[in-house]
Amino acid sequence: MDNAFLPAGAGLLILAGITSILALLLEVADYFFQDYGDCAININSGKKNLTVKGGASLLSSLMDQGIFIPSACGGRASCGLCKVKVISGAGPLLPTEAPFLSPKELQDGVRLSCQVKVRRDLSLLMDEALFAIREFSARVASARMVTETIREIRLDLMEPREISFKSGQFIQFHVPAYQESSEPVYRAYSIASAQADSGGLTLLVTRVPKGIASTYIHEHLKPGNQVKISGPYGEFYLRDSDHEIIMIATGSGLAPLVSLLHQLAAKGSTRKITLFFGTYRPADIFYRQEIEELGKKLPGFTFVPVLSGAKPEDDWKGETGIVTAPVKRLLEQHPSTRDAYLCGNPLMIDTAVKMFTENGIPAERIYYDKFA
Amino acid sequence: MARFPVFQSPFLDAAEKRMGSCENKVHCYMGDDTRPLSRILAEDEAEVNALGLTHEAIGHRLFHLAEQAKKGLGSPVVVEDRFLVAVEAARGKLSCPFGHPGLFAKTHVVLVNQKTGESLVWSDLSMHLIAEHGFYQGKGSPYRLSPKKIAAVLGLSRASH
Amino acid sequence: MDGGVSAPVILFAAIFTNNILLVNFLGMCSFLAISKDLKSSIGLGLAVTFVMTCTTGLNYVVNTFILIPYGLEQFRFIVFIIVIAAFVQLLEMIIERVSPLLYVVLGVFLPLITVNCAILGVCLFMIIRGYSFLQCIAFGFGGGVGWWLAIVAMAGIRERMKNAPVPKALAGPGITLIVAGLMALSFMAFSGMIQMQ
Repeated sequence: MDNAFLPAGAGLLILAGITSILALLLEVADYFFQDYGDCAININSGKKNLTVKGGASLLSSLMDQGIFIPSACGGRASCGLCKVKVISGAGPLLPTEAPFLSPKELQDGVRLSCQVKVRRDLSLLMDEALFAIREFSARVASARMVTETIREIRLDLMEPREISFKSGQFIQFHVPAYQESSEPVYRAYSIASAQADSGGLTLLVTRVPKGIASTYIHEHLKPGNQVKISGPYGEFYLRDSDHEIIMIATGSGLAPLVSLLHQLAAKGSTRKITLFFGTYRPADIFYRQEIEELGKKLPGFTFVPVLSGAKPEDDWKGETGIVTAPVKRLLEQHPSTRDAYLCGNPLMIDTAVKMFTENGIPAERIYYDKFA
Repeated sequence: MARFPVFQSPFLDAAEKRMGSCENKVHCYMGDDTRPLSRILAEDEAEVNALGLTHEAIGHRLFHLAEQAKKGLGSPVVVEDRFLVAVEAARGKLSCPFGHPGLFAKTHVVLVNQKTGESLVWSDLSMHLIAEHGFYQGKGSPYRLSPKKIAAVLGLSRASH
Repeated sequence: MDGGVSAPVILFAAIFTNNILLVNFLGMCSFLAISKDLKSSIGLGLAVTFVMTCTTGLNYVVNTFILIPYGLEQFRFIVFIIVIAAFVQLLEMIIERVSPLLYVVLGVFLPLITVNCAILGVCLFMIIRGYSFLQCIAFGFGGGVGWWLAIVAMAGIRERMKNAPVPKALAGPGITLIVAGLMALSFMAFSGMIQMQ
């Protein structure tokens, strides 16, 4: 036996030994340092009490417990939507959070929940409306094109089986990673179906060129596919009153307004309702039949499509131009106390809000769901 | 382990991660570009300097045209007798991948240069990325605007600003 | 062997006359990439200094009590690297637990240090020169400060160069290396002060 190999053999053994000891040390350290134990989260002074395993971000810990705080960037500290008021237990403010918080918010203890790590017991203050948000799994029951660019999909809820929402609210649709997009994203779509129809949802999706979600929904989603959604979200819903109603919609913004009409019809409302729908050409007007049916149930209802791109061959006899123009005429010629519900293109909404406040409808009675 | 060899600061690494990994994916800020972010930024900056412009100037011009387009509320508008601009809005907000606070509306502007027939598409977010970060997006990204193309379509040159 | 040189002298020498970056050209990779941004440079330099000081001490101990007694000198390279990598990992975990603020500010640079050859370089040099424990610590600390000095100076110069008419072919790494060379030349002026191998 050549003696030169013995030391080498023993040496390699010792080398392996050192490496293993260090690796073991790191494992133990990792376990020791990452173990924060169980932490109690107290929400709204005891309204809800949760126990979570420490070590994850507040946002994901709450999500695991079924409380969904809005987030558009997946916890990367770039959207600033996941703000929560932390009364105690949050730890020092991180530089990643600071740009999103105003001085008053900092004073109040508002933090970005995606950046706060749960290391000890926490006490939070949250908007109660967030408790109503749930995650649903659903199956695509049907899908059809209602115009060249808008697809209507009908979802049957599987788990939970029912959703309770206010007409006008929207859901967040989970688009998984697919052929053309390597990461899942969430996109918001308004609910077009009636409140009473609680076992399913109808969504209207406009095709956006090179849009991640709309490409998925238009090209890859088929009946029978399973999808995930969360909701309901939104401050846009019907307010109780007996004023007349003006509704303005552009494109798929018609969806929540149709849901509102369903709600009004179910209540047997006799309010005078005028729905102005702005789009380009006659072929782009959809849901004509549904709106006609609703019109039969609502005695005070009028539907006014306004086309901005009608060509002579379309033979269009109705209103033309920008959708806000006939609305202005109505306000000037027939002044009355009205509530306004708007949904669609944010520029249209800005113009309409300005026009309304100048023509007798105060800001408190204008309700809108801006697309942006 | 960090990426080796080291190309850029960890903050650019984080921004690159936020943009999502892009191997043959269509919807991605980097497109199918394999260059690291710092190289894309450096090369585009060199192009902009060669054209005699600055990122802010280009961003400002795009912003001005977008404002004009918004007046049309979706219908095309003729601006300066040579551009046809139209704005489209989609629902939702996007956040800046560089970690800036603020959400950007998904309004995008389609511009057609009536004389040359070339067109340009950009969104609120891509304007911010150009003006604030000098990021014109990687090759293959659907919203990639190379500085040369912008200058050609908009007719920008050293003298015009 | 340099048994006679005192620790403070080694410290001074490691910063100026035998600057690990400008004289030995170690740790160039992150130097070239990070020196674009002054704030990152300061952060990285701080992290490198801290890690260098600690690992020189650690590796001295490992060398004296494990490698030499068992005749394992040929594995020095591998063992030193493993110790450095493990130390950095451990440090990251400790910082994350103890001070999340420090973790966000400095911890982001720690993965970059594992690939920094200046750390290994300093550890090997101290063995070759046969320093004692105190001398090693001084050498490690001085090496780190010297690296920090070099990268901050480079960041300042690059900031100034932003508006300079650099020829297109040299933009980026080209001009940076030329500037590094010029800086090295200017540091050579210190070499007359102390002779250290």
